[in-house]
Amino acid sequence: MTEVAVKVDRLEKDLGSNKVLRGISFEAHSGEIFGLLGPNGAGKTTTLRVICTLLSPDAGSVGVLGFDTQVAPQEVRRRVGVVTAEFGVYPRLSARENIAYFAELSGVLDGEVSRKVDAVIDRLDMGSFAKQRAETLSSGQKQKVAIARAIVHDPPVLMFDEPTSNLDVLASREIRQFMVESKGRGKCVIFSTHVLHDAERLCDRVTIIHQGRVVASGSTAEVRGGFQDLEDSFLSLVEAAK
Amino acid sequence: MSSLAIVFRKEIREILRDRRTLIAIGLAVLATPTVLFVISQVSTRTATQTYTVGYSGDIPAGLDVLFGATGLRLERVDDPAAAAKRQVDIGLVFTPAGIDEYYDPSRQSAQIADIRVQTILAKYDAAKIAASLQQKGVDPSVLNPLPVSVHPLSSPVKAAGNSFLSFFLPYILITMSLTGGLSAALDTSAGERERRTLESLLLTPAPRGQVLIGKLLAVSLLSLVAAIAAIGSMLIALSQISFGLSGGEDARVSLTPLAAAVMVWLAVLLAASFSSLTIALGTLARNFRQGQAYATPLYFITIFPASIVLFIPDFNPSLAYYLIPILNAVLVLRDAIMHNGVAWGPLIVTSASLLLTGGLCFYAALRLFTREALLVRS
Repeated sequence: MTEVAVKVDRLEKDLGSNKVLRGISFEAHSGEIFGLLGPNGAGKTTTLRVICTLLSPDAGSVGVLGFDTQVAPQEVRRRVGVVTAEFGVYPRLSARENIAYFAELSGVLDGEVSRKVDAVIDRLDMGSFAKQRAETLSSGQKQKVAIARAIVHDPPVLMFDEPTSNLDVLASREIRQFMVESKGRGKCVIFSTHVLHDAERLCDRVTIIHQGRVVASGSTAEVRGGFQDLEDSFLSLVEAAK
Repeated sequence: MSSLAIVFRKEIREILRDRRTLIAIGLAVLATPTVLFVISQVSTRTATQTYTVGYSGDIPAGLDVLFGATGLRLERVDDPAAAAKRQVDIGLVFTPAGIDEYYDPSRQSAQIADIRVQTILAKYDAAKIAASLQQKGVDPSVLNPLPVSVHPLSSPVKAAGNSFLSFFLPYILITMSLTGGLSAALDTSAGERERRTLESLLLTPAPRGQVLIGKLLAVSLLSLVAAIAAIGSMLIALSQISFGLSGGEDARVSLTPLAAAVMVWLAVLLAASFSSLTIALGTLARNFRQGQAYATPLYFITIFPASIVLFIPDFNPSLAYYLIPILNAVLVLRDAIMHNGVAWGPLIVTSASLLLTGGLCFYAALRLFTREALLVRS
């Protein structure tokens, strides 16, 4: 069994009067793509936000590579990269400057910034537009900038929150390829999505949450069970949870 | 490099590439000399302009010469009262018993013509009386038993210039300290949420306090540069523009080194306070437009204290008044300009008040910046 990279234990979280998470637990390992699945409003984004320390848990705990999010949030942030569907970039900075800014803030040493930024630009094939201002980039190019800034400090845990929801087919495929590649590099990839077709193709293990609770967890094959595909299994589980 | 320096450098880079902000500051810097130039032209033209006097009857001997020398052109009309409504600036009817004057007080040209006519007639009367007394062997000085010799302790022209500066300088200092960095402050706070970059920024391990201070320093620097540039352009314009000759003295206006030093110190304090306040308001807002709506009342709040010098020029407040932010800066700068001196008590109270205000605003911004609701609402 590979190393446990992210451990979520009986996590609870309220947002206002809304009880969003009601005791969620799961583990994600290094070298796998872990799917966090559920319908809209299930609590996927809130779970990811707690893992990356943007929100604090009301109960339960979250550990990232041994660091508790409550005790050592900065250590957790050093080890996590997050890509979301909302890939906001600084429009008056070039793509390269956007990436370098986050590299510096993420603690990449001064002498290393340029080399690491160049490396990530090469890896994501961004050379043709790296010097362009971000305001002139296409959606797919901006998404690449968002990925680049999330991985430039080489975090061992990568989280993708509905990363393809605003992208066309070609850009979506590149994201999926990138996730597979990252898994091959030994990263823990957490993939949050409601597109079950993508999850079935990519994920080694999945956890399905519904209304703040885990309704199924295990390898993709285990969760699919006797159903034809993950979508049928998912619908059955959600129906049973009502 | 510290997170603070990284954020500061990035914000300055973005500001320098933001045409909207740079053009706004550039226009403000150019607007002041332009307005002053127009004022000087109007002022000079008013001083040298000739006004028309419509008259009927016979003008006393010698009076017509005085009229001509004082910029009043005589024009014979049938009905001076009717002509004074539109055709001429003032109407005079000369009769054996005296003079009937007709003018419309709602017309500025009529008011100026009236003042000139009154001045001429007073001098004419005095000259005639003196001549009559001399003919009768009486010393004309009997008409002036208590002659007054005026000895101004400072140049009246310079005092008028200082009075002008004591209103305009605080006004420009405060409005530019606020507006110079406003767009950048909202862009770096509300804009960060609107562009969806805030979450990525907060995901970095950079301490949030340092991130906020970096933003604050960049916006403060912009406010400071805008305020000093606007005041500098105004002073350069004033040094080049004359508002006409007054009593043989050229009416040019300048700032003493002491007043300049006080102004720069106040500009630093105001820039820091306004930057903290506008960043706090921007952090509260969901987007740039909402941030502008939150910031709009600040224009009115800041203009009132600046106006007090105009409406109550001799306002001499107690030390407690110097606790009121903005008003205190206006009063300290006014005193430095008018009296060319610094009262240390008011300056210390003012500095403490502005530092405390800036500190409280920064604390509020930091609290807002680290609240979970900031992300949930965005």
